Amino acid sequence: MRYLAIGLTAAVMFAAGAGLAANETIAVFTKNLTNPYFQAVRVGAEAAAKTLGVKVDQYIPTKPDSIPEQLSQVEDVIVKKPDAIVFIPVDYKALVPAVEKINAAGIPVVNITDRSAGGDFVSFVGADDYGIGLATATDLLKAMGGKGNVIILEGVKGALSNTDRVRGFNDALKEFPNVKLLASQPANYQRLQALQVMENLMQSFPTIDGVMAANDPMAVGAIEALEGANRKALVVGINGSKEAVELIKSGKLLASGDFNGFIQGCIGVEIAVRNLRKQPTPRELILKPAVIDTTNFSSYETPVEARTCPTLDQVASP
Amino acid sequence: MNDDAMNKNTKGDVDIAVRSRLAFSSNAMQALYRLLAATLLCAVLASLSDVFLTENNILNVLRQTALLFLMASGLTLVILTAGLDLSVGANIALSACLSASVMKATGSASLGVATGIGCGTFIGLANGVLVTALRIPSFIATYGVMWMLTGLTYFYMGGETIHGFPPAFRQLGSGYLLGIPMPVYVMVLFLAIGTFFAQRTIWGQQVYAIGANPVAARLSGVPVHSRLVLVYTVSGAMAGLASLIILARINSAEGDIGENLTLPAIAAVLVGGTSLFGGSGTVMGTLIGALILTLVLNGMNLLQINASWQPLVTGVIVLVAVWISTLTRQSGE
Repeated sequence: MRYLAIGLTAAVMFAAGAGLAANETIAVFTKNLTNPYFQAVRVGAEAAAKTLGVKVDQYIPTKPDSIPEQLSQVEDVIVKKPDAIVFIPVDYKALVPAVEKINAAGIPVVNITDRSAGGDFVSFVGADDYGIGLATATDLLKAMGGKGNVIILEGVKGALSNTDRVRGFNDALKEFPNVKLLASQPANYQRLQALQVMENLMQSFPTIDGVMAANDPMAVGAIEALEGANRKALVVGINGSKEAVELIKSGKLLASGDFNGFIQGCIGVEIAVRNLRKQPTPRELILKPAVIDTTNFSSYETPVEARTCPTLDQVASP
Repeated sequence: MNDDAMNKNTKGDVDIAVRSRLAFSSNAMQALYRLLAATLLCAVLASLSDVFLTENNILNVLRQTALLFLMASGLTLVILTAGLDLSVGANIALSACLSASVMKATGSASLGVATGIGCGTFIGLANGVLVTALRIPSFIATYGVMWMLTGLTYFYMGGETIHGFPPAFRQLGSGYLLGIPMPVYVMVLFLAIGTFFAQRTIWGQQVYAIGANPVAARLSGVPVHSRLVLVYTVSGAMAGLASLIILARINSAEGDIGENLTLPAIAAVLVGGTSLFGGSGTVMGTLIGALILTLVLNGMNLLQINASWQPLVTGVIVLVAVWISTLTRQSGE
């Protein structure tokens, strides 16, 4: 499957290089090659493009989340003049000038996932980090029976996603006065750091009943630390990665907030195309927060490559 | 010493011997200062947290120190020659991912271990060749290699995660022997090997000589190129070994597994008193440097220092430690 994805990307890059212009061309910007989330966005964009009969060119910084690299990719794309752009800024503030250049060139652009701090967009499509944090934490707190001790593992300090997710965790805690927050410590979205932070925190706290991690890799790190110390706690993460689904299936992970990249990729491209074809588009579409747990994981076991895009109407109607 | 009859080689050996004796006493002082600093840090943490000195936490700190030390130990030799290896983290990422997929495909822990160490060693060797045969400055050579490795790893993994390794392999990271975590034994073993190599062998002394003055070392008959290839290869091999410990600990591999590993490893070497200008420092110092950095993180977690302040505290510690070693080195000269 990995090779399929690579093949797909390579094929797309080749097509772009050879200048095989099919119908309309949509340039899709994602943040990096490493995070499975963006891989899902790209697969979603390809799936929508196939259904709609348009061509997608992928632009990914080779250095993950590199601001200068995405800036220069935007400049290159403006020269190539695609019909529309679907854009995830690597930094929601630093890329505003790039968006303004796209606006000046008159190319319509749809913003997905991370909301840009400025520029004109056809629409914004995103999941709501705060809502996902809140829903995932609530799932955990209910499973704990509304009492006990929890720990929060924070992501990269200063990242918007982390700020919102952690705020969601904390607001969920307010609804459960019998749950005590023992500590909220950073592990920078990294699993090795999460493992070590968890090992350290377990020294201070003999009883930890729940762990809220701001992404799945940190949740996995926490699970490894708990297993290594022969201790038990309920753990939740965020992203709804394939690994998380497998761990939910095997009972090691309680739940994972779904940050459905596939749907965002689908809908981003669909809105871009609808806009080109003069069909109505929403100004803003926030996907409803969903939490994957033992009750519903089986529907997530289908690999993203095999899923079909929901239509705009399906996602928009509540 | 200006005796014309004296053979060039012998003279060189004497020079090296004198220099290394001087370097050794100054190095010993450096290590002592650091040990004092680490002890002081422990005392402060013990007074602030009542769990700091528990057996569990001490083992926990040692296990975390072991990983950082292994990444930094080979790097110490490179920095002793006044070089730098910026590819450590990227090397760990590729070695870990290749090793993980071999283990996943074959189910064999030993094949996985061989792959990880083999890959790391090969990358180190390539660094050594770039630095010597092509005469590319080590900073640039290993920087370029870092990018290449990162690209290869991302391409190979394609955003996927590999997880679940054989239980025997996991012992390497999470197992215990006589109540002590396995990585601690690995650390002690390589501390002994590294110290013996650097202080007690001619080759080790030649490494110091190259760092102190490469021209003098070459004129004294030190095979500079082959020793340089050796230190980069060792650094690569240690990165390969560290990648295995990481895999065994977290039971999974993903493309960004090496992110944020290189700079802490360099910090451990510098905090440990090894000079970036080469020729002075010890492997033991690096262990103390790794211990100090680990203690700081452990302490911040135990005391629940706010997330925003943690990088600042680490930065201050690194600067203070390097400043102290600059002061002590100047007073020693």
